[in-house]
Amino acid sequence: MIQVEGLTKVFHDKKRGKVVAVNNLKFNCGKGQIFGLLGPNGAGKTTTLRILATMMLPTKGKIIVNGFNLVEEPREVRKQIGFLSSETGLYDRFTPRETVEFFGRINGMEDKVIKKRTAEIFHNLDMENFQDVRVNKLSTGMKQKLSIARSIIHNPPVLILDEPTVGLDIITAKTVIEYVKSFRDQGKCIIYSTHIMREAEKLCDMIAIIHQGNLITQGTLEELKKNSSFDDLEEIFFELINQGENLE
Amino acid sequence: MSWKNIKLIFIKELVGTIRDKRTIIAMIIIPLIFYPLLFAGIGYFSKVGSIKSEEATSKIIIHGAEFAPQLVKHLQDYEKIEILIIEDDSPNKLQNGNIQAVLVIPSDFKYKIEQEEPNKLILKYDATEAKSRIAQKRVNQIIEEYKSEIILQRLSRLGLQEEFLTPLILQEENIATAEKITGSFLAVLLPYLIIILIFTGAMHTAVDITAGEKERGTIATLLVSQISRLEIVLGKCFAVMLISFTSMVLGLFGLTLAFLSGASIAGGVEGVQFGISVNTVFLLFLVLFPLVGLASAVLVMVGIFARNIREASSYITPIYMLTIFLGIISISQGMELTGKMFLVPVLNSSFVFKELLMGKIYWNHIITTFSANMIIAGLALLGATRLFTKEEVLFRS
Repeated sequence: MIQVEGLTKVFHDKKRGKVVAVNNLKFNCGKGQIFGLLGPNGAGKTTTLRILATMMLPTKGKIIVNGFNLVEEPREVRKQIGFLSSETGLYDRFTPRETVEFFGRINGMEDKVIKKRTAEIFHNLDMENFQDVRVNKLSTGMKQKLSIARSIIHNPPVLILDEPTVGLDIITAKTVIEYVKSFRDQGKCIIYSTHIMREAEKLCDMIAIIHQGNLITQGTLEELKKNSSFDDLEEIFFELINQGENLE
Repeated sequence: MSWKNIKLIFIKELVGTIRDKRTIIAMIIIPLIFYPLLFAGIGYFSKVGSIKSEEATSKIIIHGAEFAPQLVKHLQDYEKIEILIIEDDSPNKLQNGNIQAVLVIPSDFKYKIEQEEPNKLILKYDATEAKSRIAQKRVNQIIEEYKSEIILQRLSRLGLQEEFLTPLILQEENIATAEKITGSFLAVLLPYLIIILIFTGAMHTAVDITAGEKERGTIATLLVSQISRLEIVLGKCFAVMLISFTSMVLGLFGLTLAFLSGASIAGGVEGVQFGISVNTVFLLFLVLFPLVGLASAVLVMVGIFARNIREASSYITPIYMLTIFLGIISISQGMELTGKMFLVPVLNSSFVFKELLMGKIYWNHIITTFSANMIIAGLALLGATRLFTKEEVLFRS
């Protein structure tokens, strides 16, 4: 569903000059799969996901999302994706129902379909009791549920989730993880960035570790363990990061 | 470009703005309740103050009262004047406000009256004190009456009538129409008020739905939707235009209410006739529309460029100051614009408003102003859309 080849993003910074944020990334993520992007802060995770979400253009590389070329058909790609990140806020002065309906409309859905789908999502995410309360009155957990509802209203086959559990308490984080699993079970292709190793271990079918814009390794958890002297993902992560730094 | 998408953003921004308590306070409570109450309060207190001053008796010291007994009698006969015959340090008393005026009569007063020579009286008062000004007015009036009496006596001694002194009478007739009278009355302040109200009305919303969206992190959700950048910018800009226009109308309505309530309490507003033709109103709107568009587009562009609300506010402050400056220029009496100056935004609208309110229709000015402002508004819209596609602007941190 997602094919990324040679993805490179270069920024021009007044102070630092040319900055390679992402360098020659290559990965694939199929239907019903969770692809985990792991890396420390500044590794290039957010830039990669922003490019996949069509908010930024790649400097180089080819990206195909569910058959559509990201650079040539960004609007078609947007129909295929649901995007959720720690930086995607909500409109405080709207209720969950209004928010989700608005996002349904701006994603080109018919009102009838929106109504049906909203009711379905609110039921599944257990949001019915606060669907008409303004967002500024909701708890963090309720808001995160709403963020999820907003990103899946148009039933996209691909989900791009950038650290969706950051800042959440342990119970809400667990709920979010359960939803992500259920989306995989529905056959969605999920790109999931995180720096929480336990989450990646539990969730991801494929894991890619990136550091300073470079893809250090990728594979299933078992494959990563096989190629490492460690058995724990966190230890494997540190080992690979250190190797990456020593190589420079 | 889809109008349906533009409408979606437009409605979303409008609903969000209307649900913001700050908008309700700025758009409705301040102009429609606060302004009239404030002006009514000012009117009431100034009326109470002036009634008090008018009713109070003026205390006056006369030096040399014995040299003009008849004049002193006139002053004494006036019920609201109390004469104190004190020979001490009167300037201090005047300064302290214990007395309101000091009249000095020269010792040769009677002699000069008899000799028909001019007599010089000195009246000391404090122009900064309302009560002292009233005392000055009262003394002046009595002295004028006394002067007329002396003149009449002199004329009758010469066997002449009072008409001898009035060989010419000039009767003035004002031919200005009600529209022109209203216009000249309004033309001074109204353009300035309209411009300020348009900009202040647009500012809050423009910043909130651009830089505010960046600050709250909601902008990313719009960027990954089916709506194009141009549609987002247009939807936002139209919402700002409507809010700005409504604020201006409510602001003007509130100020009119305020003026009428304040003035009627302070002593009536008779004499102000309102008369603006339908044509003038149509032309006023024709000039107003691009100005509202221009203000909205420029403010939206600045809001998109800024990282957050705070940065946007600091960029907008100089723009606002410039607008006030151009507005003030337009208030200046006697200032005339030449052809090319009608290309200067804000200033051009202000002058065309002024002309229209005075009942003058110069099509070349109207067309130049309309076109210049439309073009600049269009350029600002294009600029805003371009900024909205720039990654370095959208994701600046």
